[in-house]
Amino acid sequence: MSSQLPASSTQQPAPSIQQPAPSIQQPASSFQQPAATLPPLSWESLEALLHRVQKPGRYVGGEFNAIHKPWDEVHTRVCLAFPDLYDLGMSNFALQILYDLLNRHEDTLAERTYLPAPDMIAALRQAGLPLYTLESYRPVAAFDILAISTAYEQLFTNTLELLDLAGIPLHAAERDERHPLVIGGGHGAFNPEPISDFFDVFVIGEAEEVILELLEAYQAARALPREAQLRALLRVEGLYVPRFYRPEYTREGDFAGITPLIAEAPPRIQRRIVGTLPPTPIRQIVPNIETTHDRGVIEIQRGCTRGCRFCQAGIITRPVRERPAAEIASDVFAIAAATGYNEIGFLSLSSADHTEIETLLQTLQQQCAELHLGFSLPSLRIDAFSVALAEGLTGSRKSGFTFAPEAATEALRRRINKDIRTEDLLTLAGEVFQRGWRTLKLYFMIGLPGETDEDVLAIVDLAHELRRIGVRFGGRKTEIHVSVSTFVPKPQTAFQWEALADAETIARRQALLFQHLRGRGLKVSWNKYAATSIEALLTRGDRRLNALIERAWQLGARFDAWDEWWNLAAWEQALAEIAPALFGSVAALREYFLYRPRTEDEVFPWDHLLSGVEKRFLLQDARRSRAGEFLSDCRETCHACGILQHYPQLRSPEWQCPQ
Amino acid sequence: MSNQQINPASPLSPSPSLPCSPAPPLPGPSTRVRVTFATAGPLAYVSVLDLGRLWERAVRRAGMPLRYSQGFNPRPKMQFAAPLPTGCGGDAEWLDLWLTEPLEPAAINAALEGQLPPAMRLVNVELVPEDAPALSEQLAAATYRVLLRQVEFAAAEAACAALLEEESVLRAKRGRRRHQHYDLRQLLEALSVAPAAAPWTVALDMRLKARAGATGRPDEVLSALGLADAPRRCTRTALLLAEPAPEPSA
Repeated sequence: MSSQLPASSTQQPAPSIQQPAPSIQQPASSFQQPAATLPPLSWESLEALLHRVQKPGRYVGGEFNAIHKPWDEVHTRVCLAFPDLYDLGMSNFALQILYDLLNRHEDTLAERTYLPAPDMIAALRQAGLPLYTLESYRPVAAFDILAISTAYEQLFTNTLELLDLAGIPLHAAERDERHPLVIGGGHGAFNPEPISDFFDVFVIGEAEEVILELLEAYQAARALPREAQLRALLRVEGLYVPRFYRPEYTREGDFAGITPLIAEAPPRIQRRIVGTLPPTPIRQIVPNIETTHDRGVIEIQRGCTRGCRFCQAGIITRPVRERPAAEIASDVFAIAAATGYNEIGFLSLSSADHTEIETLLQTLQQQCAELHLGFSLPSLRIDAFSVALAEGLTGSRKSGFTFAPEAATEALRRRINKDIRTEDLLTLAGEVFQRGWRTLKLYFMIGLPGETDEDVLAIVDLAHELRRIGVRFGGRKTEIHVSVSTFVPKPQTAFQWEALADAETIARRQALLFQHLRGRGLKVSWNKYAATSIEALLTRGDRRLNALIERAWQLGARFDAWDEWWNLAAWEQALAEIAPALFGSVAALREYFLYRPRTEDEVFPWDHLLSGVEKRFLLQDARRSRAGEFLSDCRETCHACGILQHYPQLRSPEWQCPQ
Repeated sequence: MSNQQINPASPLSPSPSLPCSPAPPLPGPSTRVRVTFATAGPLAYVSVLDLGRLWERAVRRAGMPLRYSQGFNPRPKMQFAAPLPTGCGGDAEWLDLWLTEPLEPAAINAALEGQLPPAMRLVNVELVPEDAPALSEQLAAATYRVLLRQVEFAAAEAACAALLEEESVLRAKRGRRRHQHYDLRQLLEALSVAPAAAPWTVALDMRLKARAGATGRPDEVLSALGLADAPRRCTRTALLLAEPAPEPSA
């Protein structure tokens, strides 16, 4: 029995810090038999908790279009988990795609789970109930496979909370074939090392094809012990099984690379991609309560050719694949009919780049006028074409218009490869205000490589200038909202060699902004540096940080992306406990992962996971950045990033790479 | 409690998101449909705003032409008789819907078939005159049945008797007016208690006033009984109208 206790119950958290609630303990007998026989939770047992919690609609399922397959009629049961609130998780389109895909498979069922809010977590623990899925109310531990989204780093502590609430041992090494196979995937899987202890497998890249190959390999190997199951999965390309690799360190404790421990484990894992975008899920689950993005979704394009040097998504989703306009149009009507949504969101990294977007929207708007069906476009560019598109979307109602110049001076925009001229931005803002918008939202980053205080003061000048323009056209009600985040050098980007700006620099620059962006019609918001520096640590860390994440979670860190639950004390104490043994001090650990300058021959903890974009290309781009050189949009000229070379057999007419 | 105009709050979004074009003014009379529906299980735990969205989407899936308000942010014209408290199912809830085309109840029934969420059931559909008064104006009271667990029958019986003895039970209002008080006892028209079958121990039946500005809530009664923490299942069993009015057949 004691061997099945999650680590949280066997270690004593330090006093004075919030102690994690007792873990759910599976009765020892239940693990003597296949976990699939764990019975569903009764409605009555859940009902007994719901009157005590906020937004109980999150925990009950019962949505239109949710799929309830008979448990006993399939061989493989997959639980898809998003380790944050339902409201957020339901808006994650990747899980919708997988839900649709897996449930189409005759021999497979997929159900969903999300991490409950702290009040419901406490209620479940108090009642001795484990985490369950929203379709059948089965315990998560009853599933064969538990697929957890690793979309971003703030989900990492929640992932531990989710496993613990499910009664599943946290460490892959403590689990065996009677436990679900725990797989991760999503953008965060492009550096999974800091959470490698907790997962059996990571899917590197786009899951649509590899997930089915994984299922097939798992089904063939399911009778084997866990270790043998995982060996069998090594034959599937694009899967990373961390236990078959060992990190190497220099005598000074610098990371020196990852080596396979067994012959079958490939030294490098190449990202999986799909040649053409798979069909859009049509019967999308319609939530019963309001969610963050409460609308139908069509992914109109995957990938982005803009080449912003800070942007990880722009690298790890290449190449650009466009869904044909005719397909989008028919999807719009099919989704509207199947869901009843009055709004369809077009998902992409740069909507205005879709070559047929203008005619598509015009056609749709003509056809949908009587249907009261609206559209939303995320991530518009800063150009006249985008303003015209937005104009078409909004009729004459004016909510906020969003620009993301990211940097306020041209010199800095050259560094980050955001090709916008200040005068064009001002002209365009005039256009936006003239057309009736009263609020302009601006997104900036500070702490960018090569940034000076003057660059930050330029944000102030730009905001004031834009406000003057707004007042000229729209009067004194014009508002400028400036949102400033701190740049985090992301793995797999041209900026992976860069350092995080230090606390003092960011504090000074935030203070400059706060001082000078006061007055009527100006609003400024920014991220807390302490949270950013933890995010950067989790983004850039290596395997040694598994212990830090686990300890922070034990000390009460979870929901790291939420202001109301963010627990700095837990992180600081975890750092204080973990860092000395590894690096001598907290400062030395931070220096190592965040602040030290990197040379061009730096070995990164994620170098064995290949996005298809060559490290050599990223390095050239980093040099161009330092020289202040733009790199043009690669739709016109191929810059040989490596994608065409690595995926020649997958190229399809949807690709926007030049011939 | 005035007319419940459904108002789906627009999700926060940094991107422009709006209906494609302003709806032209709607000419001619519209059809007013009164549906009686029941919710239970999961749907007892959604808010009345959520129920409005659910209905809008169900009607859209059914392909029925909802009447939308004019302007650039059109809303469907829908009115619930009374908002159903979150945490409470309903056996016979009324909702008036306005359509832009005449449709017979049988056709509406058929169109909604298979379009409602699993825990919602259509009880009845009928047409009402366009100018009929709003249900909320005719409403007098509502009855609720609350099943309780982990409560001893004798204790519940005693608590109910004690509450009925009181002439006045002051409770704080909710939300922004929580420093003000109202008299719950005046809103409680009837309360009875009976043993219930397992897993429940006690069944409470209560009738509460449901008039504009004077609406009793079952959870407030439970609090007044000292049963706020007891596991429960709450159902609004009926809405009662003040005067002879279009009687929806159940």
